[in-house]
Amino acid sequence: MTDPDNTTTSQISEPLDLVHLSLDERVFVKLRGDRELRGRLHAYDSHCNMVLGDVEETIYVVNDDEEDESVQTIKKHSEMLFVRGDSVVLVSPLVQS
Amino acid sequence: MASQLLPLELVDKCVGSRIWVVMKSEKEFSGTLVGFDDYVNMVLEDVTEYEPTGEQNRLSKILLNGNNICMLIPGGDGPSAS
Amino acid sequence: MEATTATTTTEPASAPSSDPSSFLSEIIGGPIVVKLNSGVEYRGELSSVDGYMNIALEKTEEYVAGRLRNRYGDVFIRGNNGLPPLPYLTPGC
Repeated sequence: MTDPDNTTTSQISEPLDLVHLSLDERVFVKLRGDRELRGRLHAYDSHCNMVLGDVEETIYVVNDDEEDESVQTIKKHSEMLFVRGDSVVLVSPLVQS
Repeated sequence: MASQLLPLELVDKCVGSRIWVVMKSEKEFSGTLVGFDDYVNMVLEDVTEYEPTGEQNRLSKILLNGNNICMLIPGGDGPSAS
Repeated sequence: MEATTATTTTEPASAPSSDPSSFLSEIIGGPIVVKLNSGVEYRGELSSVDGYMNIALEKTEEYVAGRLRNRYGDVFIRGNNGLPPLPYLTPGC
């Protein structure tokens, strides 16, 4: 999408620029299948394939018991992770608090 | 032999009129077709979204992703009208 | 890539008056709702869209089953080069 009157205040002119600005920063990545990643973005490409470092993965497992539909969370840590782009739903910069 | 009507020509004829869109999932939309592109992504106005649950949502203007469309019914105004 | 908006503005040809890509450029900067196939909704200001229907939003709120679950200052939502999460996108109210 061209943006002829590029009046945006930031230097974001296409969506992937937002990911580019997050290089070497910590990002939140939401994946298909109720999974989330928080880690440092080392590399990415146009498919949203990504390499993340120092990653915390959170998996939400919904118990399908008719009585209690509780959600169990599983956390995993990885030093380095490759994410295939087709499982990515969204990417957002993590503001470190 | 009359020249046959190409699918996208049919869609083009629907611009400006009401259409009923059936998605691959159990979801349907009806609305006025404003425009579309080669992927049959569509801009629709005065839209009713029919959820599988029977729930209906009104939306003034939407861009509907063409990827999940199963069927278009020209002049249709949703499942309730048929 | 099955469903994208046209990326070029260089082919007016016989394009309808308000095709998806011109619709998108009209609503850039405004409040929109993006609904994924999963039913999750993102409400925010549309910063940009590309030909894959990747979307960047600002001041985004994530709604799961109608409930506010998350807020993101900036968010990149992946389009459908491969697997499509997007059924539709509408200007917010």
